[in-house]
Amino acid sequence: MSTILERPAEQTLPRHSPVLQPAHRLFPVGLCVLALAGIAVLASRPAGTGMLFTGASVVLIAVVELTRRLRGQLAMAQALELQRRDLVSQGRTTAEELEVATRMMRARAQTMTSVIDAVTEQSIIGTDRDGLIRVWNPGAERMLGLPRADVVRARSITDFHAPEELDARADPESDGHAAARFAALVQVARDQGSDVRDWTYLTADGRRLTVAVAITLRTDDDGEQAGWNFVGTDMTEARAAERLKDQFVSLISHELRTPLSSILGYLELVMDDEEQPLTADQRQYLGTVERNAQRLLRLVGDLLFTAQVDAGRFTLQPADVDLVAVVRAAEDTARVTADARGVSVRVAAPDGELVVRGDALRLGQACDNLVSNAVKFTPAGGSVTLRLRDGWQDDAGTVTELPRAGTRRVALVSVSDTGMGIPTGEQGKLFTSFFRASTARRHAVPGVGLGLTITKAITTAHGGSLDVVSAEGAGTTFTITLPAG
Amino acid sequence: MDDTVRVLVADDEDDIRLLVSLAVRKAGGTVVAAVADGRQALAAARTELPDLLVLDVSMPGATGLEVCTALRADVATAGCRVLLLSAGASPDDVAAGLAAGADAYLPKPLAGLIAEVRSLTAVVRA
Repeated sequence: MSTILERPAEQTLPRHSPVLQPAHRLFPVGLCVLALAGIAVLASRPAGTGMLFTGASVVLIAVVELTRRLRGQLAMAQALELQRRDLVSQGRTTAEELEVATRMMRARAQTMTSVIDAVTEQSIIGTDRDGLIRVWNPGAERMLGLPRADVVRARSITDFHAPEELDARADPESDGHAAARFAALVQVARDQGSDVRDWTYLTADGRRLTVAVAITLRTDDDGEQAGWNFVGTDMTEARAAERLKDQFVSLISHELRTPLSSILGYLELVMDDEEQPLTADQRQYLGTVERNAQRLLRLVGDLLFTAQVDAGRFTLQPADVDLVAVVRAAEDTARVTADARGVSVRVAAPDGELVVRGDALRLGQACDNLVSNAVKFTPAGGSVTLRLRDGWQDDAGTVTELPRAGTRRVALVSVSDTGMGIPTGEQGKLFTSFFRASTARRHAVPGVGLGLTITKAITTAHGGSLDVVSAEGAGTTFTITLPAG
Repeated sequence: MDDTVRVLVADDEDDIRLLVSLAVRKAGGTVVAAVADGRQALAAARTELPDLLVLDVSMPGATGLEVCTALRADVATAGCRVLLLSAGASPDDVAAGLAAGADAYLPKPLAGLIAEVRSLTAVVRA
């Protein structure tokens, strides 16, 4: 591209610029000749006054015209000087701005470099569009065991990936071609803008690392694709610990369920034996055994469920669920225990159905947890109320009875009790695994602190929320809000 | 004709094996073999040709799923009814059991074991 400096002078200066005027237009030769002629006439002292007058007139006219033109030239020269100063000033300003911008760019680049270099626990690898490495930070040096000088502009990012993982995603026809492997590596990021997943990195000394890699597209100043960024975190130990935890939970679950199966199975045989019926006392004692076995079983189930949630392996079996039936079932489940404790349980639910999309078993579990908690925390003579209604919720979470602009339909299940309440300072920790409120400990309310964690996880998995309002000594209300379509 | 349902029980836990055997008798069935190993279960199935097999999923030798798959692949045993018992209760566990060819899947703690055995023996008799 040509610049202003490369253009011929006549293209860059105004056409009227006096610099370019022909000499005869700048220096009025004719007028000078005329004036000299007039002076010559006067100097020859002509006899007639007519000639004298004519000579004087010629001289005068020529001088006046010359003066006018000289003034014009002077004004133009002054204008040119001003223009020159202006241009010089602009040039100086532009140069200063350029210098400032250059300094800022340098500072920014230096900041970026120092930030990237300061990262030692994550690998930051930048490549061009074809995967050739251009950026290799100290974290990458440490993780993969090669210095920057050995890698930048010399190696491809795919050299450090387990080839079988790339080939599994690459075009089967590619036959392990490097370009196809790189295309497989960035395919999701290319389609979706970014991609975070585990990949296996191969280190210089032959180790295989499980690395969570965030892949993003890098663009230049014009918005054009310049290459790719790969930010990796070594998850090898964390993933191994997760696997161990999973195995442990699975083992514990199996080892606890099996003896419980024996206890409950044999109880069923004994209690249902029509040929040898039990006495009332025997039935009561074995009923206690069964109740406690079931309690242990629930605890095992809760522990397993919590581990699944933590591991991100909790999935729903979605179907249309009638919440009226869920709430009524929760009331039935709690009825025996509530009666035994002298706590009344009431239900306020609409006639007919209130259907949401969800997992009936898990929603039932969530309601059972809240009602069971409410009964446990309410002293004799108190009451627990299950309330089901629909409403309309806006983005800020405010629920109204009637639809408004920007609201969506929701179902609300609330469980209120007249129990001991939860201290305000502890309400924020309620949904943390194994947390128990001081009121629970003080009043020796049984439990391990998993019910609310599980209820919260179930609610969240349904795209809903779980809220609490409580006053110590007055009671507590938990509300599940679910999208109702 | 004898309409007693002939049942093979396989579980490596002695207590559970006995419990299932008692449940089978309570449901009106006859236990033709009770073994603690997957390979033994497959061998006994091929010789006894039971009407119903109650198999634990997690067993030494061969898992209940492997035994079930092998039964379905053998013409002689493909028609046997199979009830799988397992500590795994997730939808994936159940789906894997049914995909292996089981007629029913009962997660531990085996609630309703007698009813389940009774239901399957009724199917066999029908």
